[in-house]
Amino acid sequence: MSVTIRLPAPLRSTVGGKTTVPIDATDLRSLPDAIARQYPDLASRILSGGTFGKFVTVFVDGEDARFLSPETSLAAARTIEVLPAVSGG
Amino acid sequence: MATTFATRSLLRGLRCRACGALQPADDRYVCGECLGPIEPDYDLDAVTADELRSRIERGPRSLWRYAPLLPVAEPPAHFPVGWTPLIPAPRLGAAIGVERLYLKDDTRNVTLSFKDRPVAIALARAIELGLGTLACASTGNLAGAVAAAAARNGLLAFVFVPESTEPGKVASAAAYGAHVVRVRGTYDQVNRLCGRLADEHGWGFVNFTLRPYYAEGSKTLLFECAEQLGWELPHHVVVPVGSGALLTRTARAVAQLRASRLVEGEHCRVHAAQPAGCAPVSDAILDGWRPVAPVRTPATVARSLAIGAPADGDGSVSAVRESHGSAASVGEEAILDATRLLATTEGVFVEPAGGVVVATARELARRGAFKPGETVVLYLTGNGYKQEPGELDLRAVIDPDADAFHAAYAEVLR
Repeated sequence: MSVTIRLPAPLRSTVGGKTTVPIDATDLRSLPDAIARQYPDLASRILSGGTFGKFVTVFVDGEDARFLSPETSLAAARTIEVLPAVSGG
Repeated sequence: MATTFATRSLLRGLRCRACGALQPADDRYVCGECLGPIEPDYDLDAVTADELRSRIERGPRSLWRYAPLLPVAEPPAHFPVGWTPLIPAPRLGAAIGVERLYLKDDTRNVTLSFKDRPVAIALARAIELGLGTLACASTGNLAGAVAAAAARNGLLAFVFVPESTEPGKVASAAAYGAHVVRVRGTYDQVNRLCGRLADEHGWGFVNFTLRPYYAEGSKTLLFECAEQLGWELPHHVVVPVGSGALLTRTARAVAQLRASRLVEGEHCRVHAAQPAGCAPVSDAILDGWRPVAPVRTPATVARSLAIGAPADGDGSVSAVRESHGSAASVGEEAILDATRLLATTEGVFVEPAGGVVVATARELARRGAFKPGETVVLYLTGNGYKQEPGELDLRAVIDPDADAFHAAYAEVLR
């Protein structure tokens, strides 16, 4: 099952300058492994100990992945977005 | 304005807080190595403490007096920001059980909040980079600060706020001519949208693409407190926490003042103040210094602190712990009571975020966190005049007649 992952500018160099790339992952739990398998350079920047590092936030169709169950299916997901964890109201 | 010896920055580059890599001060806004947060790094050994103190004391009555410890030089046409008063607050102190209480009244900045400080630094960087548009994600106060700074300097402004933002804050940002984009959702959803847009437009998003510079402005509250106390650190600082940038930069300011030997000695404990309806940082501290768990739907009258997924959340927990500080998460009634108490004892009218700080100080005093004679500073970061008035305890309107007045106020006059 392929879903689109959208990357911010500071990460695009890890996937040949592309803004979006396809990823084969069935659910949220398998997403880090899929990234490590398909895009090792990207994985080295955003994964830590097999999960997403604390300096990135992952969104599934706009929903913060930290609020979703690891079993959340990505079958119907349109876009997974990875953003640097930055804010400051 | 040309950079002079007195205003020259001691900037060495941008250093990653996570991996420690020192990088050039170019247009990057996260670490090129690990995506961690990057911060300006200064050569604090390049000047003696006496020389630095003298430079600062000769500087303007604004945050730019700390130019050596800031990453950019003062922009040529901006209005003065900072150098707000540090006010002794004996009446409030007596009411909440704090002997030596001071208020850092940052409600007196140009757009009535401390956000004028980080925006001044971000603006200076935007001008340096030749950007034509400023932008931000905001809970309200930042929107006004960005809008005013852009207007003053002839830039375009896009400010993005949650639809629930107080009308007064929306109106003031719009009055400065900004495009005020109201977004259906929480601040964190607005923030995500802006994270996406920051990449698509070449704008100076103050809290994204300019963040390493923007956040430095928040150090200047503590710099000022120390200078206003005669180059002594307060023993305690109570800091409102939204994104955590103000708290982490307060701790950073303490470290820089010590490293540059402008202050010495005693402890400076940094305490986190959050509303119970959105307290990811305070709760993490009070639960035994655990990692921050984001809050999905913040619910609090202190809307300027309604950030459920604070970027500097874990950094705030570490900073509080390293300073041997503490935290409180305070309920809605306590916030409103404290807001009223501050206004009626000291004549300072704040938005509810200020009430969160006062209520936290009261709670910390109750727990015995402050020893007699220790200096306690409360950061008051947003003015109450932008708020919609709540329930007011007003009597009926009277006729223009002395007897009517005496009759209506007989109880009070007795």
